Amino acid sequence: MRLKTFLAFVSPSVFAMILLIAVPLIGVMYLSVHNSYIKTEIVEITSTVPTFAGMKQTKVEKVPQPVLDEDGNPIKVSEYVGTQNFESVADPAGLREAIIKDRSVGPDGTPASFGQRVHGYYRDVVDIDFWGALEFTLIYAFITTPCVLILGFLVALAVNSVAQWMRGPLIFTSLLPFIITPVVGSLSIYWLFLDNAVVAALLEQMFDTKVYFLKDAFTIRSLIILYGVWHVTPFAFVILYAGMQTVPVDALQAAMVDGANFRQRIWYIIIPHLAPLFVFITMIHVMDAYRIFEPILVFGSNLFANSLQYLTYYILNFEDNYHKAAASAILTVIGIVVLLIPFLRRTYREQKGV
Amino acid sequence: MQVPKPFKSFSVGFMLFWAFLAAFPFFWMFLISFRAPIDAFSLPPKLFAPFTFDHFYTVWVVDGFWQQALNTTIVTVGTMTVSLTIGCLAGYALSRYRGSLGFWLLIGALVFRAMPHVVMLVAYKPAFWSMGIWNRYETLIIVLVAINQPFTIWMLRSFFVNIPEELDQAALVDGCNRIQTFIKVIMPVMWPGVITTGLFSFLLAYNDFLISSQLMSGDHMTMTAALSNYIFADDDLTKLMHGIAGAVSVTIPLIFLVMFFQRYIVSGLTHGAVKG
Repeated sequence: MRLKTFLAFVSPSVFAMILLIAVPLIGVMYLSVHNSYIKTEIVEITSTVPTFAGMKQTKVEKVPQPVLDEDGNPIKVSEYVGTQNFESVADPAGLREAIIKDRSVGPDGTPASFGQRVHGYYRDVVDIDFWGALEFTLIYAFITTPCVLILGFLVALAVNSVAQWMRGPLIFTSLLPFIITPVVGSLSIYWLFLDNAVVAALLEQMFDTKVYFLKDAFTIRSLIILYGVWHVTPFAFVILYAGMQTVPVDALQAAMVDGANFRQRIWYIIIPHLAPLFVFITMIHVMDAYRIFEPILVFGSNLFANSLQYLTYYILNFEDNYHKAAASAILTVIGIVVLLIPFLRRTYREQKGV
Repeated sequence: MQVPKPFKSFSVGFMLFWAFLAAFPFFWMFLISFRAPIDAFSLPPKLFAPFTFDHFYTVWVVDGFWQQALNTTIVTVGTMTVSLTIGCLAGYALSRYRGSLGFWLLIGALVFRAMPHVVMLVAYKPAFWSMGIWNRYETLIIVLVAINQPFTIWMLRSFFVNIPEELDQAALVDGCNRIQTFIKVIMPVMWPGVITTGLFSFLLAYNDFLISSQLMSGDHMTMTAALSNYIFADDDLTKLMHGIAGAVSVTIPLIFLVMFFQRYIVSGLTHGAVKG
């Protein structure tokens, strides 16, 4: 295909991506290094107030008022502020303080052990909103990824070895957590774990104590991670199951002739055949895990378990500060690009090799 | 593949366990959506309880959920149509072009695929507001199309790679230009791949919460975004029940979708994306 034809064919798609992904990214960069405010001027207002017996007092007040342009709209001023917004998000001063703080003495007055000191550093650092959000985002991504790969592989292997008539219904049921709207999926889990809801009630009956899943950092974090594994396993499963249908039969038969047992066939033939798919699933899942949002919103967990995407959303909507939100967004983008580098290099080599 | 007996029975057991985990939250949500609040959150939980349609009636008729369902339909159909149209052209060209520009386009798309959506939203909010294109179907559709493009062109490209190039050559020799070739020769054989990709576009548009809830408000809200009205209603049990009925309403179309198109998902992935 000639270059000109190629460009003509891809132009609508490229245009859409540039206009609505690339240009906004540049816009966010611009916003992040600027601050805007409504231009005000000090106006003297003279008012006459009646006091008593017909006497009047004249007061002169100096009041800030927005400057209006010729259409009567307030004039907005935007000024370059350098890294100020980034500092208000990432709080380097707070970070420095957390690091240089003297931790040689423990809470009970005795010298602190190494473990206590490390714990202290860690706690103070993740106490800062941004670093706390980064912490849980990474914990979520790194714990769910291996779980999703292993569980997805096991489900694929199991579906592949049950009778043909069972596969249809099993695939259907397995896909549910993945295809059903994440907000609805999170809600359906949330409603199981509410106080007095079915899971909490059953556990309370079994152990005869009160259980509050949503009021404790550890349980709420575990719940979000379990939600993540539950939600993404079907994706890993369906990709790996599709991959298993393309395992060359000759290789398997040859291995059986050579006396390979079931475990060896899985380990030496099926897994190597599926290796590129494992990489693919990991890459997609890292991208998606990095922007985890719905469960944080639905569980209302941002105090115990925040995510970078939720943090930006929060700054944008509740602090109503575009510039700080933009700085937070840029830091988020830097993080995902760093995480993606190994995958990009691999894709680069792969596509160049073809 | 031959599977030893013990593993077969282990598989059946494991699958029953997994299927239970996968379906139970939805099953329970369905079950309690037809109950009075007192039965839905009773202690101990009940498997059987009196049946009522009240919550669905309130959500659909009183709260006007049908309007949101209509909005979702418009946005989803619009996104799918535009996304597949421009995606097919790009995917086809990417599968046939040999130069390195195509490769860089794919790498760029991969990076775009990774962008958290809130990043773009930070720019959309002030820009769309000042342009006065806030809260419009076209805006949301075109935004969802753009966000969907990276995935769509990667997936469609891997389908088109599997369509033999001899087909194009034959048509080109017979005097067709590229666009005629695409319409007359490629289009008739591309549908399995397009259906699979279309399913994923559908899911993205239908399931999107973050962008839809921010760009649309009032009468233009989509179903998924409208659920947020009910999310923080734990204190009010009646409102919580309405949220559950709304969530069930959002789920039902998806369940039918998977029922009808399940074989396209697996076979589509087997023949297209996984190989390519």
